[in-house]
Amino acid sequence: MSKVLALSEAVERFVPNGVGLLTVGGMHLHNNPMALIREVIRQDRKIKRLLTSPCGALNADLLIAAGMIDEIATSYVGFEHIGLAPCFRRAVEGGTVKVLECDEAYITHGLYAGAGGLPFIALPKGIEFTDIPKVNRENYSFTTDPFTGNQVPVGAPLKPDVALLHAYEADTHGNAVVAGGHFVDRYMALASKTVLLQVEKVVSTEEISKHPQGTTIPGFLVHAVVEVPGGCYPTASHGAYQFDDQEIVRYMNAAKDESGAKEYVREFVKDTTEIEYLDNVAGRLSQLRYGDGSLPVALSDRKR
Amino acid sequence: MTTSSNENSRPFSRNELMAVELANRLRNDDVTVMGTASAIPQVACRLAQLTHAPDLYSIAGGTCSVNPHLGPVVPSCCDYDLLRADTSLSLNDVVLLEGRADVLTVFFAGGLQIDAYGNCNLVSVGDYAHPALRGPGTVGLPFLSRVGRVLIYTQSHNPRTFVEKVDFLSGPGFLRGPADWKAADLPGGGPQLVITPLCTMGFDPDSLRMRLETVHPGVEVEQVRAATGFELIIPDSVPVTPEPTAEQLSIIRTLDTNGLLKGK
Repeated sequence: MSKVLALSEAVERFVPNGVGLLTVGGMHLHNNPMALIREVIRQDRKIKRLLTSPCGALNADLLIAAGMIDEIATSYVGFEHIGLAPCFRRAVEGGTVKVLECDEAYITHGLYAGAGGLPFIALPKGIEFTDIPKVNRENYSFTTDPFTGNQVPVGAPLKPDVALLHAYEADTHGNAVVAGGHFVDRYMALASKTVLLQVEKVVSTEEISKHPQGTTIPGFLVHAVVEVPGGCYPTASHGAYQFDDQEIVRYMNAAKDESGAKEYVREFVKDTTEIEYLDNVAGRLSQLRYGDGSLPVALSDRKR
Repeated sequence: MTTSSNENSRPFSRNELMAVELANRLRNDDVTVMGTASAIPQVACRLAQLTHAPDLYSIAGGTCSVNPHLGPVVPSCCDYDLLRADTSLSLNDVVLLEGRADVLTVFFAGGLQIDAYGNCNLVSVGDYAHPALRGPGTVGLPFLSRVGRVLIYTQSHNPRTFVEKVDFLSGPGFLRGPADWKAADLPGGGPQLVITPLCTMGFDPDSLRMRLETVHPGVEVEQVRAATGFELIIPDSVPVTPEPTAEQLSIIRTLDTNGLLKGK
């Protein structure tokens, strides 16, 4: 049975309004599932708590700009070398979004625990000497190591209700090839109850099955596949196009205050269908495509 | 002050000097990890591999490519181009290995605030509940407690960055000093070097407080003291940071075809 759906139908069917824990894939300005995120905003599906990868970027900041989330579990939201994420910063400084302060190891191990049904996961020594467990008792705690009798830090399992992820390509069953960096997207897929996948292209199962080891997300975990070429823009889609630093700077300038952020969301998300949006940026996208000298997808990924 | 009268005539930028000085601190048997916005450490590791440390391994956190070839150097640690590399791991694998202290030997760190004991803060400035500045978050900085040598680098040397005590500790240095550090019995070796656009600093072995090591060409000791928000240990004699060699600069420019390290 084909899981390929129109973008609007996928979000309508699989992202309930008020979803408890929703996670967004990608890391820094790479492989952010922006088409799915824009559609969540268009359909006004509010999110109780957002979970990012170890480094969230526009995937988190745009949801905050649109007023979609109450809480965020994250270890980073920013635009790396370009600067701070304006809406995350303002919302946290103003107290309108609550942060569950995490670190990279917890997010990674917490997803592993969630994927495997582990009741909690022990964390390596060190985190207890930071202030992080003191401000986030919901995700971090301490227990006695039964083998040594020592007190050790532990983390709660992360079990997202919904994951929004990007992959380079998938077949109609949702067997997906992730190009370039895998980040923690695979564990987000493993740990989540429902997985929505946006891809640059849908390919045949025959094509996918030529490289079974390169297919890192199996279809049985995936509920919907949405084909949106360009759908990561303005972030990068590994194997396809680079991020658009000019557009990120434009967003940062526009979102300097709350009304500017709302206006950006209105103009580029709410008042624009995804097809119109991607038509409007087609010129930029063609300039951002990885050139002939770049890594071919086959080399970078299919060997895995 | 005789600061930068001939700054523009120097044949290298401050960023290039920082990359070279970081490279000089790397060893042939190191396995290094770098994180967010790491163009300078990327260059340092590749430069070391192409000169005195051919067997060094470097991991670009994010893509987790092993020994990225660069050319070009890229600003993002997650860039697709970093996968032009010898091999790659998954991020989960790298985070897993960061749990133990005997595999990865060097981590490049930084912070919104760095304190006298080398503790780093990427989370918030001011009261955590009502921050004056909300930073991006700590990412992998708690790993500082487990890695062999922490090399701290920052582009800003001013009293807001270099503070007596971090407002929020998100990356452990020598905690609050020798007693704390001993009691914690952490697996890692702690911070070894802090490099800024002005100078290099190490840590006094007795007090574990930051100590000036070298000033960069054209920088005065007083300038460093004024730019540091805590009482920096300043030895009687402070040498000048060695300048990059012609060979080192030539290698950097072959790698940095986008000129990311130029300018400053």
